[in-house]
Amino acid sequence: MISADIDTVPKTALDNTDSSAPTDFAVLANKLTRRFGNFTAVDHIDLAVKPGEIFGFLGANGAGKTTAIRMFCGLLKPSGGEAWVHGLSIKKKAEVIKRKIGYMSQKFSLYNDLTIYENLEFYGGIYGLKKSEIKERSKELLDNMGLQEYRNKLTSALPLGFKQRLALGSAMFHRPSILFLDEPTSGVDPVARRIFWEMIYELSENGTTVFVTTHYMDEAEYCDRVSIMVKGRIAAMDSPAELKKKWNGANMQEVFLKVVET
Amino acid sequence: MFRPIFYLVKKEFRQIFRDHIMLRIILFVPIVQLFIFGYAVNMDLEEVRLSVLDHDKTALSRNLIESYFASGLFIPAPFASNPGDLDKLIFQGDADMTLWIPRNYSADITAGRPVQLSIAINGSNASLAGRAGGYAGAVIRQETEKILEDIKLKNPILAGRFRRVEPVTRFYYNPELKSRVYMVPAIVVLIVTIISGLLTGMAVVREKEIGTLEQLMVSPITPAQLIAGKTIPFAIISFVDIAVAAVIAVLWFKIPLEGSILLLAGCMLIYLLVTLGGGLLASTVSKTQQQALFTVWFFLVFGILMSGFFFPIQNMPQWAQLLTYLNPLRYVMEIVRGIFLKGSTAQDLLPQIIPLLILGVFTFTAAVLRFNKRLT
Repeated sequence: MISADIDTVPKTALDNTDSSAPTDFAVLANKLTRRFGNFTAVDHIDLAVKPGEIFGFLGANGAGKTTAIRMFCGLLKPSGGEAWVHGLSIKKKAEVIKRKIGYMSQKFSLYNDLTIYENLEFYGGIYGLKKSEIKERSKELLDNMGLQEYRNKLTSALPLGFKQRLALGSAMFHRPSILFLDEPTSGVDPVARRIFWEMIYELSENGTTVFVTTHYMDEAEYCDRVSIMVKGRIAAMDSPAELKKKWNGANMQEVFLKVVET
Repeated sequence: MFRPIFYLVKKEFRQIFRDHIMLRIILFVPIVQLFIFGYAVNMDLEEVRLSVLDHDKTALSRNLIESYFASGLFIPAPFASNPGDLDKLIFQGDADMTLWIPRNYSADITAGRPVQLSIAINGSNASLAGRAGGYAGAVIRQETEKILEDIKLKNPILAGRFRRVEPVTRFYYNPELKSRVYMVPAIVVLIVTIISGLLTGMAVVREKEIGTLEQLMVSPITPAQLIAGKTIPFAIISFVDIAVAAVIAVLWFKIPLEGSILLLAGCMLIYLLVTLGGGLLASTVSKTQQQALFTVWFFLVFGILMSGFFFPIQNMPQWAQLLTYLNPLRYVMEIVRGIFLKGSTAQDLLPQIIPLLILGVFTFTAAVLRFNKRLT
């Protein structure tokens, strides 16, 4: 670990040396770096995500998106730099951060051999929810998703689109204020993706910050702000409208290709 | 603190009971193993074909030969006229064991000079050979003891020149040498080893494979809670299996359970530290369930072969005997057999319990540390 990098704490964090400083942002990264041997997967990235924002994290395969997300979630330790989630240092307060975030990967992370309700009960249980809370929340969630009558069906029997929404539901079950979604829509049909994004909008309207990586450029258009990662660095970051203006692209697809090629 | 563990354990049991193959492995395999080992594996010595070449041809040599056949264990094989033919009989498979009594046997023995008898055993079945050899030695010791008694009566001064004959205690607790009596308690150990070691390791790695482990790692559950959630279900199942196996051993196979059940349970709990720890360790070095399976299997086979389960430890070369001191199976086999057959108490078994406890604490601590490191 390189401690020299921490000396350059961002302005918002200067007042407090403690890790509970930059609370103005949901996610804040300062020269965040991760190396694997000689390979630098994430190379001094800076970013700031505001609460309630839908922040799109774009990049080609191997650009370092997943590595960055894994550091924010406490799954990986940074090699250098620092980041704060809700003002909590990912180096020092990873355990506290875990209570406040939800995470969903492209693998969906559901137990296929458990029923829908058992999955929700399990995820609620490991976050320390009471039995009554689990019952209440799962009823609400399953009603919303129209899955109430399938609650005792095995998860393996669900179509992919439903599984994906159920995975989002269980990642949200403990009501986190920030949601990290790592390519949540890969392999899902356009209709299911559309419904999924409606769920994301709803969460955002209710104040949840959504940090999402994606390969689909139409999804990038739905984000409040977008960053494009190239070889471990952030090559561009702004709202989709600004990016299109700046890079002179008709849509995000064109912008993405232009950014990646330069 | 305990709520997440409760839900982890609940989930694990749900998955186990929903998986019918897993359920069969846990419930039926132990019973089948018990019956197969209890009935099919017969390592009892019966009818060892013995060919004798007697060059001494005295009353003493005839006594020795008689006591061999009187034991009921040996039956006569074709005779040989010279030592070379004796070897041939074994090579051709006409005899399992040969005994050559040299010309001066009785003269030497009565004069108190060292006597050399030549015994050859077909070693193609190492275990049978070991036992036949043990028996053959025992017969000789008994016979020489008889001779010694005779000499003592006639000539006490001369008798002082003989060394004391070592007592035969090897088969004391299983006088009929029934392998069933010896085997069934050991199977209890095997079942626990397989269930707790293998299934724990695989249960962790399965979550790695399907990606749920990552989901658990972003949740606030601590490594300690996760370890508890993964090991408690298999510890419980192991105890159910121990109970089932013990009941079958006692009621069906009529194996005596001489010692304390509580002591047995306590010792198994110590042993579970080794197996659950080993399973967890295997899961930290494995990415797939196959890898976990083979990792555990590798150590399992070593552990079983070096435990005295099939081959007596005293028949192993020195370096191998030393190696068995690091083998937890060695101690737990001795403990379980001791409790079942001898009625050993905790005090009797301290020389086994202490090393087992050390190995258990060491393995489990190593597993927890490695597990912690992997997760953070």
